[in-house]
Amino acid sequence: MISVLNSALDDISRTMKLRRVWIALAHEDIGDQHRRTTLGPLWLLVNYLAFAGTFVFVFQPIGKDAAGYGAYVAIGLMVWFYLMEIISLSVPLFKREESFIEGTTLPLFVYVMRLTVQSVIRAGYAVVGCIIILLISGPSLTPAWLWSLAGLLLILLTTPALITVFAFLGAFFPDSEFIVGNLMRVGMFFTPVFWVYNGQDAIQRYSYLWNPFSYFLDVARIPILGGEFPSNAFAITGATALVTWTIALLLLGSYRRQVVFLI
Amino acid sequence: MVSIKLDNVSLIYKLHEKLTLSAPDRRLGATGGRIEGSGRKQFVQALDGVGFELKAGDRLGLVGPNGAGKTTLLKVLYGIYEPSGGSVAIEGKVDALFNINIGFRREATGRRNIVLRGLINGWSEAEIEEKMEGIIAFSELGDFIDLPFKAYSQGMAARLAFSVATALDPEILLMDEWIGAGDASFQEKAKKRMDELAEKAGIIVLASHSESLIQSVCTKRLTLKGGRVESLTAVPVKPAEAASASP
Repeated sequence: MISVLNSALDDISRTMKLRRVWIALAHEDIGDQHRRTTLGPLWLLVNYLAFAGTFVFVFQPIGKDAAGYGAYVAIGLMVWFYLMEIISLSVPLFKREESFIEGTTLPLFVYVMRLTVQSVIRAGYAVVGCIIILLISGPSLTPAWLWSLAGLLLILLTTPALITVFAFLGAFFPDSEFIVGNLMRVGMFFTPVFWVYNGQDAIQRYSYLWNPFSYFLDVARIPILGGEFPSNAFAITGATALVTWTIALLLLGSYRRQVVFLI
Repeated sequence: MVSIKLDNVSLIYKLHEKLTLSAPDRRLGATGGRIEGSGRKQFVQALDGVGFELKAGDRLGLVGPNGAGKTTLLKVLYGIYEPSGGSVAIEGKVDALFNINIGFRREATGRRNIVLRGLINGWSEAEIEEKMEGIIAFSELGDFIDLPFKAYSQGMAARLAFSVATALDPEILLMDEWIGAGDASFQEKAKKRMDELAEKAGIIVLASHSESLIQSVCTKRLTLKGGRVESLTAVPVKPAEAASASP
């Protein structure tokens, strides 16, 4: 157990020393994805605003419930799109990096961090869009917003672990790319991204209470919309982060040398 | 002192029964070697009892049929594959050229690719800056260096890959069948640089099916078959080279 953890930490430590590599590669990835387009990565902002605007326009409740719905959807979509992207892209990660893994001695965690940085850059455009909607929809700026920032940081800290776990899942179980992709698409409807849970006793209750993603959304959303510290959501998200990191370290330490034979 | 010493090295890996809905026969690994066992317990014996020793100035040619273990052995030497048994002792800075396109981005310019490749090789920014013009000059890419990599022919890509790989004077250079992509003049230039590298007390290990390439570059030949060493012999010096070497 100790040697497995040491092996994982060694890989991570060597990755941190090579940060210029994964930061440079992630920037190249973003550049390549939008090369030859007029707006470049600004398309990410346009896409986000188009999606959020459509959801607000179609699903906004009538009457007093309408207040704050724009902000609710804006934060929900920002976090959900980020989670959906990192999970969907991480399943085929090692296969996508096959030529690097089979041709260089870069530590495996380099590829995890490359995807992390890439996803954070992309999410940055959604954050800008989210701030624009928050300014328009009008929730007042309070010190509680700092808790929302802490919530986003917690999600960010969990990201490399989530990517690692799903990347190993994809390496051992290739079909998971399509299964996870479908689950994430369906998952949007089972997570309170655009619908509001008000204690109703139906399928929404279970979708909210037993879905860890609900709490990922709440740590970012409740401080801004409710002005309070969501202790329950932070506790569950923190526990999820700890469990995910534990699994990630065990997988990395045990199988990092095997990945080259799996892809 | 630059050296490579392999003692009874073996590489066995399990053919993982991936959890998949597709038919089992599509899941076998692509690496060469002997497949042993049956059913769910199948193993590939990619290398078996490989042992040899190289010292400064040696240029080893790895030969053998497809699946003999040449590339696998190079990857063990580079540290991509961890041997299952035996010991590998390497003294010296190792660089490798397995696949011309590794580390190169199609959309980025040759110049930007030199930076990226340098970062992957662990160079500092100062080292990249210092070597940049030398790499461009050796590759003879001229103005093409500022065009996207996707505009390069295979030969141009090979020039750039070789120039970068040898720019920081690796003490041990591992190569896999890459050189055939360059034109005759570049191959001659590359051979000269490899000679210089070996003369500077370096070691070159080159896997190739080309007997003429092995004869012109290497001083030793290791023949592999089914992951085992069949023979390790000296490559006879060509009469022309012997004449030029004599006073």
